[in-house]
Amino acid sequence: MDNRTAIIKQPDNISFFNDVYKLQKEYQEALILDNSNPDFIWIGEHQLCYTLGRGSNYDNLLFSLNDAKYDVFKIDRGGEVTCHMPGQLVTYLVLDLKNFNKDLNWYLRKIEDIIIKILGAFNIDCHSRKGFTGVWIGNKKIASIGIGCKRWITINGFSINIDCELENFNKIVPCGIENCLMANMIDYNKNLNIQEVKRIVKKTIEEEFNFDFISK
Amino acid sequence: MSHEIFMPALSSTMTEGKIVEWLKNPGDKVERGESVLVVESDKADMDVESFQDGYLAAVLMPAGSTAPVGETIGLIVENEDEIASVQEENKGNQPEVSTSDQLELVSNKTEEKLVAQHEIVEKETKEVVLKSEKPVPSFNIDQINAATSNVSSRIIASPRAKKLASQIGVDLAKVHGSGPHGRIQADDVLKAKGQPVSIPWIGEGGSPASIPGSNLGVESKPETSGNSFGNPGETVQFNTLQKAVNKNMESSLDVPCFRVGYSINSDKLDNFYKKVKQNGVTMTALLVKAVAKILKKHPQVNSSFSENGISYPENINIAVAVAMEDGGLITPVLKEPCNTDLFELSRNWKDLVKRSRSKQLEPDEYSTGTFTLSNLGMFGVDRFDAILPPGTGAILAIASSKPTVVANSDGSIAVKKIMQVNLTADHRVIYGADGASFLKDLAYLIENEPEKLVS
Repeated sequence: MDNRTAIIKQPDNISFFNDVYKLQKEYQEALILDNSNPDFIWIGEHQLCYTLGRGSNYDNLLFSLNDAKYDVFKIDRGGEVTCHMPGQLVTYLVLDLKNFNKDLNWYLRKIEDIIIKILGAFNIDCHSRKGFTGVWIGNKKIASIGIGCKRWITINGFSINIDCELENFNKIVPCGIENCLMANMIDYNKNLNIQEVKRIVKKTIEEEFNFDFISK
Repeated sequence: MSHEIFMPALSSTMTEGKIVEWLKNPGDKVERGESVLVVESDKADMDVESFQDGYLAAVLMPAGSTAPVGETIGLIVENEDEIASVQEENKGNQPEVSTSDQLELVSNKTEEKLVAQHEIVEKETKEVVLKSEKPVPSFNIDQINAATSNVSSRIIASPRAKKLASQIGVDLAKVHGSGPHGRIQADDVLKAKGQPVSIPWIGEGGSPASIPGSNLGVESKPETSGNSFGNPGETVQFNTLQKAVNKNMESSLDVPCFRVGYSINSDKLDNFYKKVKQNGVTMTALLVKAVAKILKKHPQVNSSFSENGISYPENINIAVAVAMEDGGLITPVLKEPCNTDLFELSRNWKDLVKRSRSKQLEPDEYSTGTFTLSNLGMFGVDRFDAILPPGTGAILAIASSKPTVVANSDGSIAVKKIMQVNLTADHRVIYGADGASFLKDLAYLIENEPEKLVS
């Protein structure tokens, strides 16, 4: 397969969720209109916020939507409620699956494999669980996945907890799984930092999808 | 001309998908390429687009429901004036779409994506759905011509038909489908088994089960198999509607309810019903009308509990529980029956039932009841009690009207049709005496003056 050009954006500062979401939507729209447009990858961190998929059950949000303390966004992805915050690395992939495999199950498993490889680079042993999309260390969830798709062009992606305040997950039922325990990468490898993980995420995606990255 | 929207295959291993959300409502204009609904499988969701400019005419599977890949889930028409006729045809989820449309639709798909998607659907369904090339046995030629000019040899059957087939041991390959493109419906499976086609299990019907000529003779068909949403050994997830009902039922546990019953002689009501039935009057409309008239005299029984005290609704709106074929129930509401004549009320009720079946009710058509009726009379039950729906004060359970030997006040013995009704009420707002006097007046009206129900 020929390499495809993809635009990569990886800001160092913490990004406001809605700005990045809009940016993803723009790249998705552009690809829908003309499939010669580039794919788009975003790797970064958000302020504390909660996001829901279009089919999410609001009962998994354990605080009132009117509670102004928390930002809540309803977005175009599958799955239940999740939480983003500094110390968690979020990766969005706006990809045209027509160039890879028009199969969302394949894509979800591919993302799981990518995450397992990323953690493997830090000598962290983790695995996927059948029926529970995401990546796990024992019974603790280390990475969450949620994607949306329109004309086989994806949006959203995955988040890996690196060194974040896991207490923020207590205000929700993460992914709709009761008593779901969360984990941080730092607990399994004291020597890593988020910049290092970011570098590996970029490298792994580049290799797995045969991308030529153009930084933006 | 109408075009079908199918449940797409989001992956080669997907057998069914969940409809997360309809982005368009029936009647809405849609443009080619515009997202019409969202389908979810695992943690991925996908926008499903319209293949052409037109109007969304019908939603055959509601948000929250799950449909097999390849199943028709909605219909799009090209012209606005076709909406009504397509909706009419599809009441009861039995779309009659000509097969040539399907072929045209496929050949019209210029976009690579759509064609490819269709190929996946084909491949997928061939793997999952039961397969056989065997010719359909004894059916008349017209029927075969009408529906088996299908695109491929795959067998498409409704989920209920598949379950029913496995439960009663029918080989779907030998069943002739009467649905669109030869899709096999539950009734086709029953026919193939030589069983009488069951009425949709829906709470519409005459309470008195023994009205001659009634097409609801469930009593006489004890061999009709009961409802089941799964196979032995399976645990089947609740559908959205069932979850909603569960929530409502559970909230009744916080309400201190009592029950009070009454045996009503329905001879006069039955005679009156026989007279007006030919004018399209339904038993449900008669009962709703009777209850509403008496509620007007007994506003306490129409009231409900609220944090601020006893809440008296401005209107009398009667909700009637209707069981849905695929699980759960819904309570279509007949608004202000006192201000509606019996014939219009009957027409309204028929319309509500039809639209309940095709899941096209607006929220205010099923959520605004101030009092609920639950009628199991058509099953021949002699008595039952109902669970109080949240936000209301009382519900009336109506059983079958049965010939019963009764003692008259003068000591003589007679056979009369007796119908037992049972009121469940929230004792915080409705007391025993309120319920009892309501029932007494209801019985008086039904036993003595049913003709007053006309207006």
